[in-house]
Amino acid sequence: MSSVEAGLPDSNIEADALHLPVETPSQLMTVCLAGAPNAGKTALMNALTGGSFHTANYPGVTVTLSRGKSKAEFGPQVLLVDLPGVHSTSASSPEEELSCQVIEGRHRSVQPDALIVAVDATQLERHLRFASLVARQDKPTVIALTMMDLLPRTQQTVNVRKLEEAIGLRVVPVDGRTGWGSAELMSAVKIALAGPVTGLSALAKLPEEPVSAYKSIRELLAGSEALKNRNVFVLAEDSFTARVDRVVLHRFLGFPIFFAILVGLFSSIFWAARPFMDLIDWLFSRAGHLLLALLPESALSHFLAEGVVGGVGAVAVFFPQIVILFFLMTLLEDSGYLARGAALVDRPLSYLGLHGRSFVPMLSGFACAIPAVLAARTIPSRRERLLTIWILPLMSCSARLPVYALLLGALLPGAAWKAGLVLGMIYVLSLLTGALVAGLISRFILRKRSASMLAMEMPVYRKPLLKPTFRMTWSRSSGYLRRAGMPIVVISACLWLLSNFGLGSHQPVSAERSRSPLVTRSDLDHSFAAQLGQTMEPALHPMGVDWRVGVGLISAFAAREVFVSTMAIVFHVGEDQDSQQAGLLENMHTATFAGTNQRIFTTSTILGLIVFFFFSLQCLSTVAVVKSETNSWRMAGLQLLFYTGIGYLMSSALVVGLRMAGVN
Amino acid sequence: MLDKLNFIFIYTLVREEDMSLLDALHNRPYRVKGIDGPDDERRRLLDLGITPGEELAVVQSVPFGDPLVVMVRGMRLALRRREAAWIRLQ
Repeated sequence: MSSVEAGLPDSNIEADALHLPVETPSQLMTVCLAGAPNAGKTALMNALTGGSFHTANYPGVTVTLSRGKSKAEFGPQVLLVDLPGVHSTSASSPEEELSCQVIEGRHRSVQPDALIVAVDATQLERHLRFASLVARQDKPTVIALTMMDLLPRTQQTVNVRKLEEAIGLRVVPVDGRTGWGSAELMSAVKIALAGPVTGLSALAKLPEEPVSAYKSIRELLAGSEALKNRNVFVLAEDSFTARVDRVVLHRFLGFPIFFAILVGLFSSIFWAARPFMDLIDWLFSRAGHLLLALLPESALSHFLAEGVVGGVGAVAVFFPQIVILFFLMTLLEDSGYLARGAALVDRPLSYLGLHGRSFVPMLSGFACAIPAVLAARTIPSRRERLLTIWILPLMSCSARLPVYALLLGALLPGAAWKAGLVLGMIYVLSLLTGALVAGLISRFILRKRSASMLAMEMPVYRKPLLKPTFRMTWSRSSGYLRRAGMPIVVISACLWLLSNFGLGSHQPVSAERSRSPLVTRSDLDHSFAAQLGQTMEPALHPMGVDWRVGVGLISAFAAREVFVSTMAIVFHVGEDQDSQQAGLLENMHTATFAGTNQRIFTTSTILGLIVFFFFSLQCLSTVAVVKSETNSWRMAGLQLLFYTGIGYLMSSALVVGLRMAGVN
Repeated sequence: MLDKLNFIFIYTLVREEDMSLLDALHNRPYRVKGIDGPDDERRRLLDLGITPGEELAVVQSVPFGDPLVVMVRGMRLALRRREAAWIRLQ
């Protein structure tokens, strides 16, 4: 999981996409935060800026350049830039390459005046080796010693003073999660910035080559007595983490526990969110009615009430699910389990050409493809990242749920358990189809695979702190709202205009008006949307539906669930009907092709529609996010055509096939 | 023919002396002898602290036996079997 859109709306932190130049306000000094993955850098960033940030307990979480001003209470402000976690200077992923560029002063827009290196106190050797690469740049450098609270668990003691003497750099112990030590760290940074250049420190003089570097670090630490009781195997067998790992990674229990956690996650997404979703739905429909009642009757008031408020409602109704998903994912991530999940599924996924880290995006994809595409940033190899993004639209996202609910209600009237069973099958099938597509593509299209590496750190288990988890949940959820919200609102407003206005010349002749204007308000049957639907009707013939369903399918490009409300409009469900859903089902049941008594919604056409929604990428927000994440219109456009094309072909083939087999 | 058999015999002897991380018993410390593998991957493992002479132990294996969880320099590291095979032990 990445630091998806880190930063609250009111915070002073913003995440920049990798390819965007970062503008640095020239009057502020730039201080970059570097460190190996899992060094507690993101939590430190959070503490120093006072903004909401991710406290990562999952390898490679900070993959964009995030920046923020230091908190005012730490004196004169500096600009802090959080660099992606790096294992070494032989960078493998584009994010690591970016970090190396900044550290080595090769980046064109981020030029650090000073560097803070986050060093995990429980893994001094490894983290000091990275710090030595940073210190080599001969910029003012301060070491932030993190994870001090975990030292007793590893039965080690670190003497900070002796460590400072040994490496020749200022060392400040901090705890990013509570903010302890951050004031001292900032004053140390300021002293380093103001102080004279002292020449290379002992740390910077270490060799670059890893084998001798590690040897020298061990000698340095042993000689100075900075580190005591370096016994790594104390942790190996008896530690809390080892005991938990023995259960959750157990040969037989590992996968059942994994699936139980997933099922728990999904059921809370669907069941716990339900009351909140109903509440939000009710609130927005009340707000719409209220607007209509308060404002004078006009096209504008209808536009505001139905187009705008309705559009916002369409996004907001999924918000509880997104919040719950992010909350639980953040908990899993901070506890350390998510890395285990990734390790568990690495082998099956790598067989399909994916990576263990593809698991988090795929999981998010069942709630919404947009955060899922963002989460794919943590996958190190570009090929595996693109392949993951490619299959994400297949994961049965929650916007499909209302559509399936409606169609299954029409297909299997009065048999809730059957509908539930079919829905379950649809979810499993969407995962299997995603696996199939990934497997086929990696075997036949993206065949040239540069072998990727896993080499992923399994962080120690820690109890997640509630406050940072809530803050992170909020920052991720609001990021989703900003990202997905605008397109959906704009598109649904446009669709409202299209379905409520039409060419004046097409309107039924009214007695009081002799001359019709070019564009006028219109009922849906004579609107632009209807004309569009009628124009495309020949294309809908294989699917066995008429233009009204076509309008629904087009409107679903705003968001899939809009299909349901559009169907309610095109099949004239009245406001007076006590239940919209029941009224819609009744009207769908009796709907016939114009001028005939041939029913539209038969077994074959409903199944065809389900198949269409199963495959097609009816979500323009996803297309936009894929474009911005892959920086390629080709990828986004191809994906849209591929899935929508497959949906159309499969749906048509099914309907035609079923009809030939005698199923109407 | 005999030469060939002889070669295979000697080769197996040499191979047996040279055990990889895959042959390691769980929760036993071993000393790293060297690292094979393509340059980039080899460099990455070295950077992660898996250097010749360093002690490490396989502490956990995941269902399917892949990846392995290795404890090295205070870090738990998940390594695929393919990566573990490059690590030669004494």
